[in-house]
Amino acid sequence: MWKPTLDNAHVFSPPLSELRIDPSALGRVLGYKGGETPEVVNTFIDGVLPEVPDRVAIQCGFRILPTRSVAISDDSFSCDGISFSSGSIIAKQLTQSNTLALFLATIGPKLEEWSKDLMADGDMLRAYIVDAIASETVEQVAEWLENKIGEHAGGQGWKITNRYSPGYCGWSVAEQHKLFSLLPAGFCGVSLTESALMIPIKSVSGIVGLGPDVKRGAYQCSICDLKDCFRRTDEPVAALDEP
Amino acid sequence: MAANEILESLTRCIERGKVNAKSPHPPDMKGQDGADELARKALDAGISPQDVLSKSMVVAMERVGIRFRNKEIFVPDVLMAAKAMSAAMEHLKPFFKTDALKHRGTIVMGTVQGDLHDIGKKIVAMVIEGAGWQVVDLGTDVSAEKFLNAVDQNPGCAVGLSALLTTTMVNMETTVKKVKGNHPGTKIIIGGAPVTPDFATKIGADGYSADPQGAVEFLNTRCLQG
Repeated sequence: MWKPTLDNAHVFSPPLSELRIDPSALGRVLGYKGGETPEVVNTFIDGVLPEVPDRVAIQCGFRILPTRSVAISDDSFSCDGISFSSGSIIAKQLTQSNTLALFLATIGPKLEEWSKDLMADGDMLRAYIVDAIASETVEQVAEWLENKIGEHAGGQGWKITNRYSPGYCGWSVAEQHKLFSLLPAGFCGVSLTESALMIPIKSVSGIVGLGPDVKRGAYQCSICDLKDCFRRTDEPVAALDEP
Repeated sequence: MAANEILESLTRCIERGKVNAKSPHPPDMKGQDGADELARKALDAGISPQDVLSKSMVVAMERVGIRFRNKEIFVPDVLMAAKAMSAAMEHLKPFFKTDALKHRGTIVMGTVQGDLHDIGKKIVAMVIEGAGWQVVDLGTDVSAEKFLNAVDQNPGCAVGLSALLTTTMVNMETTVKKVKGNHPGTKIIIGGAPVTPDFATKIGADGYSADPQGAVEFLNTRCLQG
C-alpha cells in the first residue's frame, strides 16, 4: 500500500504572535456569550496568558491529495480509495471541490499538563481557564493553517471551503483512523489512541475542500448538529468569498 | 449575628464565590467575611454541623446548579462557588470523621476507558459534593473492572460515568453491565457531550443528565438510602 511521506506534505511552526488570541473570544469560550466576562475571570485570564508562549509547541501541516484520487458523493467522500462516511452536511459543503487537503494542528502537551497540575492542586478555576485558552489557541492554529491552505489554493486560482473535522457535523470521530492513515507517520508529532483521541489532546485534524467554485463561509454553526459545542455561536453567518 | 443571619450570609458567600475575608472577589463584598469565616462562626454560635450543611451550604450549591442550568451563570462562576463551598467544608470535615455528620450517600465517578477528558467530570463532582454527597473520583481512562472494585469497596454507592467521545461512550455499556452484573441494585447515571437519554436507556443505565444539577437531582431522588 502506498504510504505518504513528508515529501508531499507541508509543515509549519507559526509563532504565537501570528495567531489571533482575542481575550474577548476567551470569555466566549468560557461561556460568557454576548455578556460581559466578570472582572475576576479576566484577571485570571490576564494572569495565565503571559505563561502561554513558553508552554506551546505549535506544529501544523497539510497534505493536498491528487485530484484524481478524490471522489465526493451525497453523504461521503473518498481519498486514495479510502471511503469516509462524513454524512450529508459535510459532503454537501464539499460537493464543488476538485480535491481535498487533509490537515493537522497541535499546540503540544504542555498547556494540558499545566491544567492537570493545577487541577491536582485544587486550583480548578485556573485549570479550567488554562484548558480553555489551550482550546482557543489550537483553534487559532487551525484557523491560521486554513488560511495557509487558502493561499496555496489561491496560487492556482482556486478557493477553499471551511474546515471540517471528525466528530463534528455528523462525521464520526472514529474516522480519525482513516484520516491519519493518509498522513505521514508521526505527522506534526500527533498520534492517535485506539479510541481515536489525538495525543496531545489539544490538536485539531480535518479536511478542507479546494476548487475554483467552492465557498468558504464564516464559522458555520448553523449547519452543525453539535448543539453543546463550546465554540457554538448564534452570530449571523456570511460567506467570506462572496463579494 | 443571629443564627439565621449567619446561615444566610454563608449561603450568599458560597453563591457569589466569596471564599474568605481576604478574597477580592466579588468586588462588592470586599473586606467582608467569606464562607471560610462564616462557617466557623456558625459552628462557634452553636449551630449544628448538619444545619450548617443542609440549611446553608447545600441550599447555596443547589441555587448555583440551577442558575448554571438556566445559563444565568457559567462554569467559572460554578468553580468559584465550589471553592467557597470547599473553604466552608473544611470546618465540617472533623464532624464527618466522628459520624456527627453524615454524607447523603456516596457516588463513584470516573471517565470511562479510552477517554482522558477530566474537567467536565470534575465540575460535576464538585457540585455533587456541594450537595452533601461523598465523591470517590477514579479519574480518567477507568476500566469496568476498576469501577467494579470501587463499588465493591463502597457498598450501596451510586455510579457516575463520563465520556466525551462517541468512540468511548460504548465503554459505558461494558461498565454498566459489569457493575450491574455484580451489584444489580446499583444506580448508574451517565453524562458527557455525545451521550443522550436514549443511549442511557439502551445501555441499561438508570439516568442521564446534561448538567451537574441534574446529577444531584438524580442522586437525591433515586439513590438516597435509609
